[in-house]
Amino acid sequence: MEKLLVSPSPHLHTKTSTKSLMRDVVIALLPAVVVSVLFYGWSELLVLGVSVASCVLLEYLITKYLLKGTCTIGDWSAVITGVLLALNLPATTPWWVVFIGAVFAIGVAKMTFGGLGQNLFNPAIAGRVFLLISFPTYMTDWTKPQGFIGNAVTDAYTGATPLGLVSEGGAGAVEGMDYMNMLFLNIGGSAGELSAVALLVGFVYLLARKVIRPYITLSIWATVAVFSGIFWLINPAEFTDPLFNLLTGGLLLGSIFMATDYVTSPMSNWGGVVFGVGIGLITMLIRYFGAYPEGVSFAILIMNSVVPLLNKWFHTKKYGR
Amino acid sequence: MLKTFSIGGIHPNDSKISAGCAIEVLPLPSKVYISVAQHLGAPANPVVAVGDKVKAGQVIAEPAGFISAYVHSSVSGTVKSIGPRKDLAGNNMTHIEIDVEGDEWADGIDLSDTLVTAIPEDNKEILDKIKMCGVVGLGGATFPAHVKLCPPPGKKADCLILNGAECEPYLTSDYRIMLERSKEIVVGAAIMKQVLGGCPAVIGIEENKPEAIKVMTAAVAELQASAKGYDGISVMPLKKKYPQGGEKQLIDAVMKRQVKSMGLPIDVGAVVQNVATSLAVYEAVQKNMPLVTNVLTVTGDCLPMENQHNYKFRIGMPLSYIAEHAGGIPEEAAKIISGGPMMGKAIANLDAATVKGSSSLLYLTAAQTVRGVESACIRCGKCAEACPMGLEPFLLQKYARNNMTDELEENAVQDCIECGCCLYSCPANIPLLDIIRIAKGDVIRIIRTRK
Ligand code: SF4
Ligand code: SF4
Repeated sequence: MEKLLVSPSPHLHTKTSTKSLMRDVVIALLPAVVVSVLFYGWSELLVLGVSVASCVLLEYLITKYLLKGTCTIGDWSAVITGVLLALNLPATTPWWVVFIGAVFAIGVAKMTFGGLGQNLFNPAIAGRVFLLISFPTYMTDWTKPQGFIGNAVTDAYTGATPLGLVSEGGAGAVEGMDYMNMLFLNIGGSAGELSAVALLVGFVYLLARKVIRPYITLSIWATVAVFSGIFWLINPAEFTDPLFNLLTGGLLLGSIFMATDYVTSPMSNWGGVVFGVGIGLITMLIRYFGAYPEGVSFAILIMNSVVPLLNKWFHTKKYGR
Repeated sequence: MLKTFSIGGIHPNDSKISAGCAIEVLPLPSKVYISVAQHLGAPANPVVAVGDKVKAGQVIAEPAGFISAYVHSSVSGTVKSIGPRKDLAGNNMTHIEIDVEGDEWADGIDLSDTLVTAIPEDNKEILDKIKMCGVVGLGGATFPAHVKLCPPPGKKADCLILNGAECEPYLTSDYRIMLERSKEIVVGAAIMKQVLGGCPAVIGIEENKPEAIKVMTAAVAELQASAKGYDGISVMPLKKKYPQGGEKQLIDAVMKRQVKSMGLPIDVGAVVQNVATSLAVYEAVQKNMPLVTNVLTVTGDCLPMENQHNYKFRIGMPLSYIAEHAGGIPEEAAKIISGGPMMGKAIANLDAATVKGSSSLLYLTAAQTVRGVESACIRCGKCAEACPMGLEPFLLQKYARNNMTDELEENAVQDCIECGCCLYSCPANIPLLDIIRIAKGDVIRIIRTRK
């Protein structure tokens, strides 16, 4: 004991840090990463590698040389963006397209706003949507690459996403599709949409570690289920059932990992519920009536932009007021 | 389901390392330094002069106003000096220095440990004794006890809540007195509830102290069976959650009522007193014993088990004397806290004297207490989730940094109870409470001048 430290209370601090929270998100994404690499092989590894490496490198270069501030890559948030961006792309995406996505995600969506904590839009989704608009052909190329395992199972697959089929041919086009199959291995779509179970494992991990609160995710699911349920009850020949809508496309990936991004979602629980309902509604409107078969990304981006308003309207319940 | 408060709260490790250490009486030092500001409110006026002989329990300073308290000598001896001396924060305050000679007590004080269960009938006499004995709240705020026990006209107490939560990590002094002085505490509760007009009394204890719950429940049952005036007293186990012992939180947990902003507990019919205060009330009313002793925990993870203690000390003993007696200050200690690790004060001056409300000497290591480097707010909402007042600390700190006092008031910065849950929880190490505390002071000043 040299000299006594004197500082104001509290004198203890939680062990949870920005870094540990972000690292937990990466851990929660691992099951989905492993499944996608196993089934999509080298091409998926390349997409993941390029995406993560460019996100981290770009953040390093921008914080160090452009902003000349503290370097923030140690907080793992760039890694999350890299992994999420990769999981949102088809495994066949060329490396340079991935790189452009990373430039947009980190360079434009994150850093121009001032970095972690300041950005209005989720960087990974912004990157993905930018690529979807700029390179529609690459972004909807669902040719199945050679995986490390399960090629016999997955080769039977036809080269379109379930939602794409429905968009063209109505609910009849996916008749007889096996839900058990979808739960474990949902072929066709972005790499991260492969296995609902892998994503749900990540969700449970995030909840157990208290990284996220469940309100946003659950309200998205509830809205999608109710909305599609109503249409399905009215016209089952035209519209697909709620379970199909929950398990297909990027709904799970988006609702668990991207809509719950701290920075771009509301602070309060009620704000989160409204945010989730909004995402669910917009997703279903795009799926049923829009030009794209899938709308989760657009829905999250649109709702990201109303977060400041939601934060203004919804506050925590105060004691004695 | 155990009861608890409804908004926010955190679960730090409770680290009650010294829970098993029975209360030991500290030997007398050669000198004590008794501060005239050991209570909330105006410092007391000394009524002795240098050279005076004093006895233990004799009044040496008188209250200087309605919210103030009597101060008594804790030892017998000679007044050596009266003048400024540094308190634990390093600020100068008038202290009365007394050279200890023998251990002679003032007349009329009952020093035996016979339990006196018969409660005096005259409430005025009771309140007088509480006041004359200098009893103040020992749960942290050191508010003069008799003031709280006289509800203002038009207000009535519906419930007396005894705070036995001891929700601060590490502290075990309340726990020990609940185990060792359970009946006295219950008698104190019965006295206070009689003064308040016979409302029920609830002793709230957190579930991590099952022994205390058991012993206190048994004490209540025994007194109810053997003496008069003990009906309507009960023990309520509470869930473990910090800050359960916060006055507003305890009222919410026990009575399901919430005190309005800037209001007082009595507005919702609640009077909250700490269990240690209840013991002091017992001593004052039944034994004529002024508040000159209290129990303090010496603890910390870096302290070997044999050096962990719960001490009964005389007020005015220097902290360094107690630390020395307990086996010295551990090498690894980087910060020493008086009070709990969440709301206690870091000690700047170990030569400072103990006061009525002293509750601990807590040694924290650098690894435990040095804050991480501040980084950007990631808007995780963990601070708001943790705030037991339902405030949004991330927002308040932003407004505070920009001096936006109107927004601060609108968002209830004045309701902050300085519990530290927000700062504790922030993964980005933002000094939320440091900033909010200053803003709160400013806003309260603005509200006051407006009135
Ligand atoms: S210190 Fe104040 S703002 Fe922070 S959690 Fe406690 S009451 Fe809320
Ligand atoms: S806990 Fe810290 S990082 Fe999270 S919202 Fe509050 S201030 Fe921001």
